[in-house]
Amino acid sequence: MIQYILHRVLLMIPTVFGISILCFGIIQLPPGDFLTFYVAELSAQGESVPEAQIAQLERQYGLGRPWYVQYFLWMKNIITKGDFGRSFTWNKPVSDLIWDRIAFTMLITLLTVVFVWIVALFIGKYAATHQYSLGDYIATFFGFIGLAVPNFLLALLLLYYSLQLFGLSPAGLFSPEYQDAPWSVGKWIDLLAHLWIPIVILGTAGTAGAIRILRANLLDELHKPYVITARAKGVPERTLIWRYPVRVALNPFISTVGWTLPDLVSGSIIVSVVLNLPTTGPLLLGALLQQDMFLAGSFILLVSVLTVIGTLISDVLLAWLDPRIRFS
Amino acid sequence: MSNSNHNAGADILLDIRGLKTYFHLDEGTVRAVDGVDFTVPRGTTIGIVGESGCGKSVTAFSILQLVEKPGRIEEGSIVLNTGGQNRVDIAALDHDSEELRQIRGKDIGMIFQEPMTSLSMMYTVGFQMTEAIRLHMDVEKDEARDRAIEMLQAVGIPRPEQRFDAYPFELSGGMRQRVMIAMALSCDPMLLIADEPTTALDVTTQAQILELMQQLQEEFGMAIMLITHDLGVVAEMCSEVVVMYLGEVVEQADVDTIFHNPQHPYTQALLESIPRLGHSHEGRLNPILGSVPDPYHRPSGCPFHPRCTQIITGRCETVHPEISRLDPRHTVRCLLHEDPHG
Ligand SMILES: Nc1ncnc2c1ncn2[C@@H]1O[C@H](COP(=O)(O)OP(=O)(O)OP(=O)(O)O)[C@@H](O)[C@H]1O
Ligand code: SF4
Ligand SMILES: [Mg+2]
Repeated sequence: MIQYILHRVLLMIPTVFGISILCFGIIQLPPGDFLTFYVAELSAQGESVPEAQIAQLERQYGLGRPWYVQYFLWMKNIITKGDFGRSFTWNKPVSDLIWDRIAFTMLITLLTVVFVWIVALFIGKYAATHQYSLGDYIATFFGFIGLAVPNFLLALLLLYYSLQLFGLSPAGLFSPEYQDAPWSVGKWIDLLAHLWIPIVILGTAGTAGAIRILRANLLDELHKPYVITARAKGVPERTLIWRYPVRVALNPFISTVGWTLPDLVSGSIIVSVVLNLPTTGPLLLGALLQQDMFLAGSFILLVSVLTVIGTLISDVLLAWLDPRIRFS
Repeated sequence: MSNSNHNAGADILLDIRGLKTYFHLDEGTVRAVDGVDFTVPRGTTIGIVGESGCGKSVTAFSILQLVEKPGRIEEGSIVLNTGGQNRVDIAALDHDSEELRQIRGKDIGMIFQEPMTSLSMMYTVGFQMTEAIRLHMDVEKDEARDRAIEMLQAVGIPRPEQRFDAYPFELSGGMRQRVMIAMALSCDPMLLIADEPTTALDVTTQAQILELMQQLQEEFGMAIMLITHDLGVVAEMCSEVVVMYLGEVVEQADVDTIFHNPQHPYTQALLESIPRLGHSHEGRLNPILGSVPDPYHRPSGCPFHPRCTQIITGRCETVHPEISRLDPRHTVRCLLHEDPHG
């Protein structure tokens, strides 16, 4: 098992390397470089940039040098100093801008995955073991609605109705009084009170999809001979379903986490804009629109790396769950 | 039903009467088991034979209430006599009741046709065996482990301590079937139901498994209900034979009677369909004249009449024969043998 994990971690290195080159390519795509934008931006505001500063930035990021030198310097700055470059729209180092947002994004994404799994597991198991029952039809019906309604619409509807009915706005992750307050128990509770809304919104489509996957997988497994063997041994029905067919039906379910993560991260952009969440989504959108290259590139790099880690986690989970994978 | 004292003399472990198990499909109802009567004496091996689709597996599955939707036991009783006056009608139990679960795996063990898929690939052999043992015996984990290893040894698995921790996919088909047998016998059942236990195995392994079952029967003394297509196996293993046709038992008798003095025209046809019994180890049933009717449209009267060479024209098409008892342990369902007192 340890050997397997090591093997997978080693495989990650070239993957991340490839991703970082791609991200750098994205940064380099727009004509000119960030310094020309930066200087132009500042002079447009009537400010002049000291020659010394320009020269220093040029040296630091290797601007004007061949792309591979620039890439090397970018990576070197990231790895050695945690310096992802500068955001010219914000006139701040990228690293000052992204970590909070990455943290919130990860929090929301992970909680959403957990939410999706738990809800899908119970509903999917019920739907499969009660195939063609009323409950199964209801689950299927809401599943289709969940899949069909776009997330941002759900977000807008929720905002509208909570304002109309309760007169409160669920937007953002904090109430105004806690927005800039230091962390405290009250602030945590306030966060949790706001957090469930994006989780439910982001999780609906995923849950609907996961229910359908789990139900279909489970229906395939429920009548397999090994289930009948367990029943013939006298295993109680409830234990039996969870222990045998559900365990197998989980496999394809877990292997989807790999692509659930980036899906959630990218899918959350519009929802985050609508709900005014301090996640990576809105900032990335702005960075892309304003060609804020280092900011955009760094986001994409970090999100991609997180996705690779997510895939690794799902693979390790799979191997832990399925001895056939562990042994091959 | 027929006379009530018909089991006098024999020590009956399992008494199945009027068992009907139907499948309710959109296209119609499949009467897979349609009035099955037979008895299993304690400690003996009884063979169930009949053409494919005649309801052997459904009968076996019904005994442990393992028939799944859209199948259902409609009628009949499956009385298990666990000793003395302890009789329980399995067919009347709730499908997830404690009482039924105590019979499954404890009083009656079962092995299946497909050893490759009958064990879960997610758990070790040891886990799946001790699960059964701990469900039915009041033992600690390590005692259950000892018991499982002892059983693995008993079914001839080399290095049982290591196999205990193996996953089923690491074992061959024959080894897996041995594990299934070890698991089914681990709680010392009174009856082992084996539904074509060797069909999926190669010829050498088949012989080994059958020999093992015989040897284990001598050792543990359980009764075996052996479902098979192979009349050669029946001749070798069984002391009694139940012949099924279209969801009914048409004849039950001891093995000598079935082979040398069969009374039902279907049994006779079945035996004639194997060229030279005993000379060919491939004693498989060859098709008898005509074919098995479509399961949705059972013939009226005696279900065998469209294929019967001894048909009593005018009666067999309309009258459904009752069971006649020719000897204490020889029953036949045919109008040629109508019980004058029945
Ligand atoms: N799950 C099911 N759904 C519908 N019909 C079924 C089902 N299982 C069995 N049957 C029907 O019940 C009848 C008896 O089947 P069964 O499996 O008992 O036959 P069998 O005697 O065991 O045959 P074989 O020798 O091929 O194993 C068949 O006509 C079959 O089509
Ligand atoms: S009852 Fe008639 S048709 Fe049926 S087996 Fe006997 S003789 Fe043949
Ligand atoms: Mg069968």
